[in-house]
Amino acid sequence: MKRMSTVQALNDALDVAMAADERVFLLGEDIGRMGGDFGVTRGLWQKYGERRVRDTPLSEAAIIGAAVGAAMVGMRPVAEIMFADFLATCFDQVVNNAAKIHYMFDGQFKAPLVIRSAAGGGFGGGPHHSQSVEGWFMNVPGLVIVAPSTPYDAKGLLIASIEDENPVLFLEHKALYRLRGEVAEGRYTVPLRSAHVARQGQDVTVVANTRMTHEALAAAEALAQEGISVEVIDLRTLRPWDEDTVLDSVAKTGRAVVANEAPKIGGLAADVSAVISEQAFPWLKAPVRRVCGLDTPIPFSLPLEKIILPDRADIIAAIRHTLQPYDEP
Amino acid sequence: MDAQRLLDLYRDMCLIRSFEFGLEREFKKGNVPGMLHTGVGQEATQAAIAAHLRRSDAFFPDHRCHGLMVLAGTPGEKIMAELFGKATGVCSGKGGSLHSADPSVGNFGNNAVEGSMMATVLGVALGFQMQGRDDLGAVIVGDGTAGRGEWHESLNLAATWKLPVLYCCVNNGYAISTPVGASHATADLYEFALAYNMPAVQVDGNDVIAADEATARAVAAIRSGNGPYFVEYKTWRWQGIFSGEFRPVEEQRYWKAERDPIKLARGRIEAEGLATAAELEAIQAGVDETVERWIAFALESPGPDPAKATADVYVGWEVAS
Repeated sequence: MKRMSTVQALNDALDVAMAADERVFLLGEDIGRMGGDFGVTRGLWQKYGERRVRDTPLSEAAIIGAAVGAAMVGMRPVAEIMFADFLATCFDQVVNNAAKIHYMFDGQFKAPLVIRSAAGGGFGGGPHHSQSVEGWFMNVPGLVIVAPSTPYDAKGLLIASIEDENPVLFLEHKALYRLRGEVAEGRYTVPLRSAHVARQGQDVTVVANTRMTHEALAAAEALAQEGISVEVIDLRTLRPWDEDTVLDSVAKTGRAVVANEAPKIGGLAADVSAVISEQAFPWLKAPVRRVCGLDTPIPFSLPLEKIILPDRADIIAAIRHTLQPYDEP
Repeated sequence: MDAQRLLDLYRDMCLIRSFEFGLEREFKKGNVPGMLHTGVGQEATQAAIAAHLRRSDAFFPDHRCHGLMVLAGTPGEKIMAELFGKATGVCSGKGGSLHSADPSVGNFGNNAVEGSMMATVLGVALGFQMQGRDDLGAVIVGDGTAGRGEWHESLNLAATWKLPVLYCCVNNGYAISTPVGASHATADLYEFALAYNMPAVQVDGNDVIAADEATARAVAAIRSGNGPYFVEYKTWRWQGIFSGEFRPVEEQRYWKAERDPIKLARGRIEAEGLATAAELEAIQAGVDETVERWIAFALESPGPDPAKATADVYVGWEVAS
């Protein structure tokens, strides 16, 4: 094991995948000589050359279209869309092309590609550099959405995504890029579609992803002082997400809070809470509560952004709410 | 052009038209679900393109390319059955007219968001280039796609990376109802491609010999490693729009009476004495009989397998049914 940041872990994953498989190549804006806006591809252009680490123009649709086409002829492209907000410019290629290739052509083609993108807010990025976009893509059958919370998972999930046969949208939360943790050396994978119980508890389940996982862990630590035992689940794969792990946990605790940074309406948290309500109703002691971003764009100024984005205090309040007797609100 | 080659192209064009006429007839009877776009009037362009593709190439057909898909090598009955939505179709009925693909002949399928394939073809060509193959990626797109951002992103990147892409721009004059020149800075779309620093030509897409020769030159240039090549085929579709015909009567008369690609080729064949009238009639009868056999196959085929509705959403993962 080696201590490194999420950026270094992602870089290591790309290095391991490229060394192991000649078919793996990278394309995106400023990922070559410069090593990417956040340094995730640093050193790979120097090591693997411009043939396998390709700087592109600001043509996001061409980047994703090229990745799809290359995947169709047996390559393993890893495309970078610098900020997840920019995925709006290539939405068609992700939704109508990558995600449907396998289905509409009756399984005759596959699109094993990875689209890496920096998502999430909290750093004053403003309306077009801060969004959590998983909700945009939740309604797209055929697409896999992966979002790591730790350096260890970041490396293992990225290698698993590159090796997977499906198109994967890999969302990297910017607030976690500098987070450091223990990472195993060499090749290893963390399985897709498998959630991680980040902390065990008995009284309430918090289902979270990326930055909100860490906020939930902080909330759990604070409430432990009061004797409240919180179980925290990190989804890791957001679509299709791991219903079994979540439902098993809710069956045990009888209470659920779903924490997601994106706006509440129509998002990941809406889907998770609906499934819990449908499938775990007999075990529920209180209504499922969601902790999400407010229903607004994300403003630039940090005090304003803080109003919009959820944090540990919001999670603590939601947990307390679920612990109140339901018939005495 | 030698006699046999011209006769082969003539037969190919007759096959395309017979296929489309048969399909239209069945569509009107209610046997073909969904929407119908035909390639009638554009047969010379399609025959010329098909003649220069290898099975190891990759091509993206547009929504009027039923005939081209057959010429590429897929058994005609499997294309016909796909359009009828039957289990025996080339995509088991999941794709239909707008999404019929067959990797065994290099048919990478249409994308019904017209013009989106301009981006996909980049990756196919890039893959071939990285794999050291001398195969090419061909994309067949209508004039209406020239307004899409991907159209321009594609030309720029293919030229920058010297990718083996054959751009086949089928300019039939209208994007549904809007004339090309009324919605683009030029009605001669090859001029756009020239601006992206690649060889680009405009050819009479209803003259099968001219279209064949232009395609041959483009393919040879691409295979020798010179990067992308853009061919604009000027043609005219016989099919109107969903609500009927909107183009001037004289324009319709001109293109159908004087610029019919099959009639033009036949005139050439007869003038040069390459075949007798009886031989040409036999070609026509042959393709008609073949197409009727394919239609009968499609009609008699079973409906789609219900299990296909939820199959192949993901590789390796089942979706709840």
